Amino acid sequence: MELQFSQVTKSFGDLNVIKQFDTTIRNGEIVALVGPSGCGKSTLLHMLAGLQQPTSGTLTAGGASVAKPSPERTLVFQEHALYPWMTLLDNVALALEFQDKPRKTSLAEARKWLSRVKLEGFEDYYPHQVSGGMRQRCALARAFIARPKVLLLDEPFGALDALTRMTLQSVLKDLIEEERPTVVLVTHDVDEALYLADRVMVFSQRPATVLREVELGHIPKTHDLTAFADVRLEVLHLLGIDTDEHTPADSQGETA
Amino acid sequence: MNNSQTTGVASKRAYVAAIAIILFFWQVAAWFLPDFLMPDVPVALQRLWEELNSGEFYEGLGNSMSRLGIGYGAALFFGIILGLVGGTLDMVRSTLKAAIIILQSIPSIAWVPLFLILMGFGNMPIIVVVAIGAFFPTALSVMNATESVEKVHISAARVMGASKMQMLKRVYFPAVTPELITGAQLAFGNAWRALISAEMIVGFSAGLGKSLAYSGEIADMTGVMTNILVIAILAAVIDQVILERIKHRLLRYQYL
Repeated sequence: MELQFSQVTKSFGDLNVIKQFDTTIRNGEIVALVGPSGCGKSTLLHMLAGLQQPTSGTLTAGGASVAKPSPERTLVFQEHALYPWMTLLDNVALALEFQDKPRKTSLAEARKWLSRVKLEGFEDYYPHQVSGGMRQRCALARAFIARPKVLLLDEPFGALDALTRMTLQSVLKDLIEEERPTVVLVTHDVDEALYLADRVMVFSQRPATVLREVELGHIPKTHDLTAFADVRLEVLHLLGIDTDEHTPADSQGETA
Repeated sequence: MNNSQTTGVASKRAYVAAIAIILFFWQVAAWFLPDFLMPDVPVALQRLWEELNSGEFYEGLGNSMSRLGIGYGAALFFGIILGLVGGTLDMVRSTLKAAIIILQSIPSIAWVPLFLILMGFGNMPIIVVVAIGAFFPTALSVMNATESVEKVHISAARVMGASKMQMLKRVYFPAVTPELITGAQLAFGNAWRALISAEMIVGFSAGLGKSLAYSGEIADMTGVMTNILVIAILAAVIDQVILERIKHRLLRYQYL
């Protein structure tokens, strides 16, 4: 589903978060938005989800104006979005039950999706009984079960440790390859953006403007991102991280 | 699990100790006061045993319990509805809450003359007074809880395409349940006090409060103390056994 921002502005009172933003996200494209905290990239995502409305300008999904949330465009939150009073199975099934699917088929489908994210055996656990990584696997199952045309991810693995994060990135990548939704990913993690995305958009401080767009193309990637070392350094530099501050000799001296 | 079991045993032990202390002080008072002013504990227990074997006692108990059941039940039902609706309506919330706080400060027994004249001598004024006593804490706790339902839980449901009704049933209601139960236990204390005092004043047909008032009128102190004993035991059983059980059942996920 093609997503199009034209002259989208969003302000909260006097605070200009997004100013006359234009971009088109092609059907099936995977776009990562990276930028400093509070630059408005999450606001872009929430507008795509239909949770917030632009102050001015138009935002369309598949040619139709985005006025309210729809299961076609689902959003994965950073964490705590699973319902603590439901088991993992019920949490996933809920996405179908909200679309008035019968409970029995919803549960059967939910079981299938939980096993696709390697959570079989944990169906009857409550979210607080499992690890953060397992909770986010469950959140992915809940997002994918409704077969969304657009998958929006708001720093989905931001609260996880580095190792769990990399595992979940692979899980997500596989699911995207199989289901082929259009994906918009908001992240702080440059490596995550490079690993998952076809295109990376680097944002400035508020009001969000695009500093740089990097077309990576849809090529198979592994977590070995050495081929993207130049792009990585450039993006980090744009985000204000001084990448040539430490020479190897320096850092050795520091650790000693 | 182990932990909650040991605390369960500890709280039972504390209860037994508390009962022993209360009965001890009663008995000490009975030693110092003449029998017609304060009966010995065994004498009151003897009377209690006789009462339990008489039909009259059960008639009174039945009447009181049905008044409590209807009044408290209605208060929970309407309190939950008003709390949920009030909690979601930003416009009226503060005014509604202020109104509840003002009305709540009126002792429920103060309404007796009004409803006695309005509805006539009978069960109704007692039931209404019980309901008033229980309604406000229920409504207030649900409203406060509704206000503080996590934003991400609401957004997640909207993104999954929940209807208003589904949102209320599957998100708001379970989210407010912990506070609702606390409120309902508070409401039970109010309802119980309102029931006994209204029965003492109105004196319509048999009932625990009427029986207590009658014993006082004929200066039957053994009867007075026996009635107080019954009222105390019933309150403790309903609150600590029935309501606590329901709480553990409904909030099972929190105790795992």
